[in-house]
Amino acid sequence: MDNLNIEATKYTPAIKLAIDGMMSFVGKSYPENTFEFYRPVLAWLNDYFSGDQISDKILIKFEIDYFNSSTSSVFYNLFEIFDAQREKRNILVHWCHKADDDSSLEAGEDFVEDFPDLDIQFIVQ
Amino acid sequence: MDINAVKQLAEKNGIVFLTYAGFLSQTLISGMTEALEKEAEYGKLGAGEATNIFTIFIEMAQNIMNYAKAKRPDGSFNKPEGIIVVGKCEDGSCYYVQSQNNVDLQDKEKIQAKLEEIVTMDSESLKKRYRELRRSGRDSHDKGAGIGMYEIAKRCQRVEFSFLPNDQGQFAFQLKAIVTVNKGEIL
Repeated sequence: MDNLNIEATKYTPAIKLAIDGMMSFVGKSYPENTFEFYRPVLAWLNDYFSGDQISDKILIKFEIDYFNSSTSSVFYNLFEIFDAQREKRNILVHWCHKADDDSSLEAGEDFVEDFPDLDIQFIVQ
Repeated sequence: MDINAVKQLAEKNGIVFLTYAGFLSQTLISGMTEALEKEAEYGKLGAGEATNIFTIFIEMAQNIMNYAKAKRPDGSFNKPEGIIVVGKCEDGSCYYVQSQNNVDLQDKEKIQAKLEEIVTMDSESLKKRYRELRRSGRDSHDKGAGIGMYEIAKRCQRVEFSFLPNDQGQFAFQLKAIVTVNKGEIL
């Protein structure tokens, strides 16, 4: 299994999914067809977590300036995947936001409310 | 074409950052979002307000674009055409994002029912409903009337809307989202 690297565009984030457990989503996310865009990401994660190369320690960094509502739905699906792994290994989510961006902070807090047992930490950039 | 009249109209309605009428495409939307980012920089907009304005703008613009991808009852398609305006309220206390596009009667009913409910909801119940919808996975593919309307409402202080019948049996759907500015951040 290979790492997945997707370069950023003006409306899609840079995505890095590495088998050593370091994962990140950086940039903006409002693709024209969000579900198509994230399909390989969901496929990679499902393959990874059903394979035998899974790292014991997984850090997922979300550093998203702004995103559309369909991205929000897809992120929910990503959190579901991570949440399902929570008891088997060490999963940590970093939700990054600018110091005065309450809006991004609130978006992260919504995920904390939906996944109270997942370790989600807020990082001020 | 009296281009100065357009400018005066824009000035009369507060400081207009961005106005566009015509076909919407993904590259155009990202270009306009970049222009808004520049305005937010110059205007020293708070990061939270800027994020809300960008999100609402993208949501409205993509709604118009995606609406044109759904088949109409007679099998034809709508044009991805609309008007979108972003500006600052005259007294400087708020920003607004406003859009208009044509919708069919059956979509009007759907959107209207949703918005009539949304305008009665406080921010806590909006947030709750948004999360419920997101969790259920329902509604996320629903053109124009899905979770996006809740995203818009969640990120502003007030939503206004109307439907004006036109000659083609359709309705001009007008939507306005008002984002108030925290004290001390007004330019």
